[in-house]
Amino acid sequence: MNLYLPIAEMSVSVVVMLGMGASVGFLSGLFGVGGGFLLTPLLIFAGIPTVVAVGTAPAQVVASSVSGALAQRRRGNVDLKLGWLLVAGGVVGSFVGVHLVAVLRRTGQFDAFVSLTYVTLLGVVGALMLIESVRTLRKSKAGQSSSLRRSGQHNWSHGLPFKMRFHRSKLYISALPPLMLGAFVGLLAAIMGVGGGFLIVPAMIYLLHVPTSVVVGTSQFQIIFVTAVTTVLNATNSHSVDIVLALLLMIGGVIGAEAGAAAGQRLRGEQLRFLLALLVLAVCLRVGWDLVSAPGEPFSLQNSEG
Amino acid sequence: MRLLPRKVWLPALVAGLLTASSGGFDPAAAQRRATPPVSRVETKRGQQVPVTPPSKGSKPDETARPPDIPETVQADVSTRNVSVTSSFTGTEIVVFGTVDNSRQPGPESGYYDIVVVIEGTPSRLAVRKKARVGGIWLNTRNATFEGVPSYYAIWSTRPLDEIASEATMIGYEIGFDHVRMTPIGGTELAGSSSSLPASDTGEFRKALVRLKRGGGLYVKDEFGVAFIGRSLFRANISLPANVTVGPFDTRVYLFRNEKLLSQYNIRLNLEREGIERHVHDYAFHWPLIYGMSTVFLAMAAGLAAAFMSGKSMR
Repeated sequence: MNLYLPIAEMSVSVVVMLGMGASVGFLSGLFGVGGGFLLTPLLIFAGIPTVVAVGTAPAQVVASSVSGALAQRRRGNVDLKLGWLLVAGGVVGSFVGVHLVAVLRRTGQFDAFVSLTYVTLLGVVGALMLIESVRTLRKSKAGQSSSLRRSGQHNWSHGLPFKMRFHRSKLYISALPPLMLGAFVGLLAAIMGVGGGFLIVPAMIYLLHVPTSVVVGTSQFQIIFVTAVTTVLNATNSHSVDIVLALLLMIGGVIGAEAGAAAGQRLRGEQLRFLLALLVLAVCLRVGWDLVSAPGEPFSLQNSEG
Repeated sequence: MRLLPRKVWLPALVAGLLTASSGGFDPAAAQRRATPPVSRVETKRGQQVPVTPPSKGSKPDETARPPDIPETVQADVSTRNVSVTSSFTGTEIVVFGTVDNSRQPGPESGYYDIVVVIEGTPSRLAVRKKARVGGIWLNTRNATFEGVPSYYAIWSTRPLDEIASEATMIGYEIGFDHVRMTPIGGTELAGSSSSLPASDTGEFRKALVRLKRGGGLYVKDEFGVAFIGRSLFRANISLPANVTVGPFDTRVYLFRNEKLLSQYNIRLNLEREGIERHVHDYAFHWPLIYGMSTVFLAMAAGLAAAFMSGKSMR
C-alpha cells in the first residue's frame, strides 16, 4: 500500500515507513536515545529529500520521547530540575541552529556540513563509549564492582558559580554545564534533525556524573521540548515538515519504543552502552565512507528559492 | 524550500483557471471534478499555434505541392485535470490527435512525423558539482538555471535526428539538448563570489539533464507515437509519482520532410485534491499552526502508547 506525501511530493510504501519508524523506535526505547540520528539517514536513503527528512525526523522523536519519558517518570527516573535546565539551554541552541541551517543551505555546503558533523561526533562519542563499556564489562567479569562515579571526585566544573542541588540525581553542581550541554544539543538537533539523545546520554553519564538510571528518563524529557521546538521552527522556516510522513513514523515509532524498552530491562547498563557504542560507530563509518570515497555522480541538483 | 516556487504558481494557476472559465461557470467545481465534461473551459485550453519556420531557406529538392489545403494537427489529452490524492502513484496520459487533410496512404507509411513534448512547471534549479578538498568530497562549483521544466517528455514517431535538422529542433526547443533553461550564474567555489566561466555551464546543463533522466523526470520514447489510421495518432506517456504538481504544457508538432507543418498546444493540469490539498495549503499558509499540530499529534501518539503500556503493566 502506497501513500502520497504532500510535502515530500512523492509516494512511499506505508509498510516500509511503519517498519522504519518501528525499528528506530525499538532502538530508541532500548537505549534511551531519540533515534533521530538513525532515522534521518534512513529517510534520505529511502529517497525522501534531505530537507524534508531533516525537518520531519524530530516529529517522530517527539512521539517516542513522550512515551519513553512517561514510562521513566512512573519509575521515578526523571530529574525535572535538571531536565528544565537542559530544556532552557536547548531552546536557545535550537534557534541558533535553525538560522545556521538557512545560512549553510545558501552556501551549498549543507549536506557536507551535516555529514562532517555526524562523522566527527559519532566517531568521538562511539569510540569513548566503546572503550568505557569494554573496560567495565571486563571488570564485572573479573568480579569487581563497577561505578562510574567515584566519591570525592572533583573536576573543573566544580569551580563554576550558580551551584544548585539536584535531589533525584544526588548532585550539587553549577547550573552552567547543564545549560551549555542543552544549548549544544539543541544546536545539533536543528542542524542534523536529531534529538541529541546519543550525545546527551553519554555527556550526562561521563561529564555530569548523573546516575545512569536517571539519565535515560531525564534526557528523554528534555528531548521532547527540543524536538518540539525544532519541529515548529522547521515548519515555519523551511516548510519541510511532512505531517503524513511524521504520522507514519510515529505510529511505528511508539510501538517499537515500547518493545525496545521491554527488551532493555533484560540487559545491564554496560551491555547497553557497549551495544549503543557499536551502533553509533557503524553509522559513523557508513556516513564517513560516503565523504571520502569517490562519488559515482559528482553532480547534484537542488531547487533554489526564487 | 524546494517547495517554495509553488507559492508563486499556485495563485497564478487559480487566476489562470478563473480567466479561462467564462461567466456562470464555477472554476472551483471544475477543478474538483476528476474528469470534467467537455465545456467552454476545455476548448480554450487547447489551441492551434501558427507556424513560423525558424529558417526561411526552402529545400531545392522539394517539389511544389499541389495547391491543396495545408495539413493541420489537432490533439487532446485523455485527462486534462489529474488529481493528486493520497493514493497517487503516478499516472498515464494518453495524447491523441488527428492530422486534418492527411495525404498519408496508411498508418505504416511514415509520411508524417509527430513529436509530442510535455513540459512541467518551470522553476529555478541549482546544479552542484563535488570535488575532492583535503580528502573529503565537497560541493565546490555550482551553476543556477532559471525556467528549468520540472518534467520533460518527448514522444515521437521515430528518432528526432531523422525527423528534422538540429537547427529546427533548437528553434522549437525539442530534445534534451534543447530544453529551455537560462543560466543565471554560478560560482567557482561555493560560498565565494568568483563566478563560473560561461563556457563551463554546458557541463552543468548536461549533468542536469542526466540527473533528471536518472530520476525518471526527463523521459523520451523515440517510437512512442503511433499512427492508427491515415490521420489518427496516439501516444501513452506516464507521469511518475515524484513529478512536481502544477500545470503541464503539452505541445504536438506535425513534421513532413524535415519541415514543421503544424503545431497544437494543450494545457494539462496536476492538482492536489482532498486531504493532500488541505495539508499542503495548511503547511504553507499557516506554518506555525501546522508545526504545532504536528507536535500535538506526536505528543498524543506518545501519550497513547504510554497509557496502553501502563495499563498492560498493571
